[in-house]
Amino acid sequence: MADRPPVAPPRAEQIGTACDYCVVGCAYRVWRWPADGGAATPPPSEGTPRADEPPWANPAQHNIVAWQGRPHHVLVLPDPLARAVNPGGGHSMRGGTLAQKCHHPGNRTRERLTTPLLRVGGVLREVSWDDAIEVMARVSQHVLARHGEHAWGIKAYSYQYFENTYAIARLAFDAVGTPAFAPHDKCAATNDAAGLDDAGIEAFAPSYDDWGACEVLFCSGTDPFETKATLFTTQIMRGAEPGKTLIFATPHRSGGVAWGLKQGGLWLPVIPGTDSVLNQAIARVIVERGWQDQGFIDRWVARRWEVDQGLGRGTRDTPWQWRTTWGLFQSDWADYRAFLLAREELALAQAARITGVDAALIERAAELLARPRADGSRPKASFMLEKGNYWSNNYMNSASLAALGLVCGAGNRPGRVIGRGGGHQRGWAGAPGMPGWLSPEKYPGRRRKPLNLDRWLIDGRLRFAWVFGTTWIGAMAASAELERAIAALTVERPEQPRRADAAHAAEALIARADAGGMVLVDSDIYPVDPLGTRYADIVLPAATWGEADFTRCNGERRLRLYARFCDPPGQARPDWQAVQAFARRMGWGDRFAWRDASEVFEEAARHGRGGVYDYDELVRQARRDGLPGHEALRRLGPDGIQTPVRRTGERLIGTVRLHDPDQALPDADRWRTRLLQGFATHSGKAVLLKAPWDFPGWSEFYAAARPRTDQGELWITNGRIDEVWQSGFDDRRKPYTAARGVVQMLFIHPRDAAARGVSNGDLVRVSNDAVYVQTGMPLGVQAHEQHFDALLAAGHIRVTRGSFEAVAVLDDGMREGVAKAGFNHPGQHANAVCHAVPDPLTNNYRYKLGRGRVESLGPSAQAAGFDGPSLKPRGSV
Amino acid sequence: MDAERACLSRRDALLAGARLVLLAPLAGLPMPLRAARAAHAPRSVARLGALRVGEPVWFDYPRPGLPAMLVRLGVTAGGGVGPQRDIVAFSARCTHLGGPLEGAFDAANQLLGPCPRHLTRFDLTRHGVVLSGHATQALPQIVLELDGDAILAVGVQGLVFGDGAAHG
Repeated sequence: MADRPPVAPPRAEQIGTACDYCVVGCAYRVWRWPADGGAATPPPSEGTPRADEPPWANPAQHNIVAWQGRPHHVLVLPDPLARAVNPGGGHSMRGGTLAQKCHHPGNRTRERLTTPLLRVGGVLREVSWDDAIEVMARVSQHVLARHGEHAWGIKAYSYQYFENTYAIARLAFDAVGTPAFAPHDKCAATNDAAGLDDAGIEAFAPSYDDWGACEVLFCSGTDPFETKATLFTTQIMRGAEPGKTLIFATPHRSGGVAWGLKQGGLWLPVIPGTDSVLNQAIARVIVERGWQDQGFIDRWVARRWEVDQGLGRGTRDTPWQWRTTWGLFQSDWADYRAFLLAREELALAQAARITGVDAALIERAAELLARPRADGSRPKASFMLEKGNYWSNNYMNSASLAALGLVCGAGNRPGRVIGRGGGHQRGWAGAPGMPGWLSPEKYPGRRRKPLNLDRWLIDGRLRFAWVFGTTWIGAMAASAELERAIAALTVERPEQPRRADAAHAAEALIARADAGGMVLVDSDIYPVDPLGTRYADIVLPAATWGEADFTRCNGERRLRLYARFCDPPGQARPDWQAVQAFARRMGWGDRFAWRDASEVFEEAARHGRGGVYDYDELVRQARRDGLPGHEALRRLGPDGIQTPVRRTGERLIGTVRLHDPDQALPDADRWRTRLLQGFATHSGKAVLLKAPWDFPGWSEFYAAARPRTDQGELWITNGRIDEVWQSGFDDRRKPYTAARGVVQMLFIHPRDAAARGVSNGDLVRVSNDAVYVQTGMPLGVQAHEQHFDALLAAGHIRVTRGSFEAVAVLDDGMREGVAKAGFNHPGQHANAVCHAVPDPLTNNYRYKLGRGRVESLGPSAQAAGFDGPSLKPRGSV
Repeated sequence: MDAERACLSRRDALLAGARLVLLAPLAGLPMPLRAARAAHAPRSVARLGALRVGEPVWFDYPRPGLPAMLVRLGVTAGGGVGPQRDIVAFSARCTHLGGPLEGAFDAANQLLGPCPRHLTRFDLTRHGVVLSGHATQALPQIVLELDGDAILAVGVQGLVFGDGAAHG
């Protein structure tokens, strides 16, 4: 008999949770029972629903974990009680193997960090939590007193549960008060899709049902099949409108794109960086033919004076105020229409040339999105964007996508929505706001710009850095440059602890900070190569999903409890507890006084009031019922509740979508917020923003950054590869995914490969010998001073090199001239060939715009044989 | 270790790695889970001489109601039998959620898939590994042996989705 997992006994405990991985956040249920023949654990808490039987499980969905020190079987399976997100048991390879994520000393999850470590004489040595905190506190007190809060920084995930991010934010912004902060995916504390935000559209306004209910879906810079599997299979393939037409703007015809084509949809194989031209060219066709949703535009698009409304006199000092009222971008309907019709680059033939998308496809896209039917009704069109759109020409790509959606009447109705598909789940509970006024950077005028933490570090201004749950180096542009700087400031310094003694180590590290070096602390669940393994002075072991009670929202603002069901290994603790221990030692204990995770959750609720992830009503209700906040959330079961959470009478109600004036508001007498009934602007109307192709803040960079085809360069873009989650930290260790193999891949068109002597399965080196890195802190008095040409002339652009290796996968689904790698593969950093020159409008990197030569190094280890990952094309039609 | 397992040891190692949960110094260890190979009475499912490259043969295996496919791929494949070691057979029930893979053979790329339900694709040259998609098991490979012109199915490596009652 083959090895089915053991059968769950009827009295097995059931614990509700949700997936640790992608934004979709499928609901999961854990069946747990003792593995040593001992007595069963106590029955589940009252009021939580139980499923009758677990779904069919394969061995990748089973594990044996430690719970209260004893071995227990666990099955982690899609929750049969879920009616939202993944009813019917939908899951991806990521969530479907959650059981194997759990720590088990018999497989590679044994590599989990279990004790704090201190680098002594170059080697990481085990120390106690007390000693690690002691060293951190002594160094921090000195750095803050001597060098100021700007020299003390945090680089942290923005998504790994409210309890953790609330504590981290409170530490950084309240206790320390530093502007030296950046999240995992950006060099500064900025908004991702700033153009979308400026238009007044909340990134996660839609419900998943809206993606399912549209008749035409425009996906800009994403294939949700690869990255949001269950959203794709549940809503995009099916949903309320199973026959929907898909339009993908991406250089890679991956699995979802291939399916969309089979259903009669479109693939727009857009040249990287040119999405704003594509979006606006489609809009122009729509406008030329009079297909715009004029009724919607008249009602919901801000007029010129409505854009300015409420800002008063004087300069526009916040970035969105500035950008939306700058003549270059500010617009209203009449102005936008005239802009579309007048711009040379948006004429069909020109647009086709710039974007590489056939004119016929541009026209067909316009037709599908906006042409009214014979009966006068309009197609229900929705617009999803992700990083292929905005980690490129960051501001203008996202602004133009929003504008296209608005022209088609999307943004605030069921099935007619605009929003991000999402990457990670929404787990940022950002306590007090960041002290942005302390940033030394500024845009032209009097506008503060968030501090670029990478550049701050490279320029030697960061004396202490605490990193939470991110690889940092591989995740940032010009990775090799950043790594060299980190090495030079840490392990290559002469000031190193020689003994594992807290007082001595603190003294040595203080000397390093005073001499211009940096002290690095890395909190993570596994050793992170190279940040933790080679450079960090202190490494702290973190407890993760399943090992502590956590909360967060998924991509439709669905809040759930991710309940604990197994023990963290060794001395690993949730990050919020590490922050608390440090804060106490620093003398800030009164602000970090939580006794358990639920108290963190409850305190964080106050700061979320009025926002997109507001769950304050839930916490208040819990208090009235005499329950901890976490318990109240547990009792809501696998569907949780969508934020903002509201109340009518005794009943809590979730918010299906934002911006929708027609959604039922039974609590309208108690709840009045623009966000629910209008767009996120002071007028409640959406803002149309122009995206002129020749804006020098973009065009100068584009001209410099493009592949030098005379040298045989290709665009080297990057993205997620379906089954690999982020840096593969779990995938390398879960038996199932590890057996498949996690290798860096480069998808390349067969003709591009042949021209370079590359065969399928070859190991290739991808190299860019002109990686631009913006240096120093150009303050920018005149606008053009922060554009590429002026930066170069003023000596603010360093030219360096970067390269990585990958296994070539020949794929005729890649656009010719463009190759694509995994975006965050450890050790082989796709970002090494990407320029670290932020968009001057937003201070965001343009990660998708790398370039390089591709040379074969001969067959890879994966080429021959029958094991390991498949090297076939993924989206064949 | 019996002779049959010896000649499949590489595949066993691959698939065993995918599903064997090794045990460890936790107090009171249960018995180790067994490796993933199930033997069945040999049954002839195709004839060598009748096979054409890229043209699958469909049959039920290991029991009625469990669809399976045998095909000559034209390229050497993991677990392949025949002179070119290119004849393979696999369960045709998607290991994601049991979707039907009948009719989803992609001869040009030697794949089974995309599954009509959720689009998973399996690489038939590499022991049914998931190329792209959501399944958390490789496609179960049917162990083949040659007996003259007869191609015999003798066992299954891996679990057919939903096989057996959910509770033993």
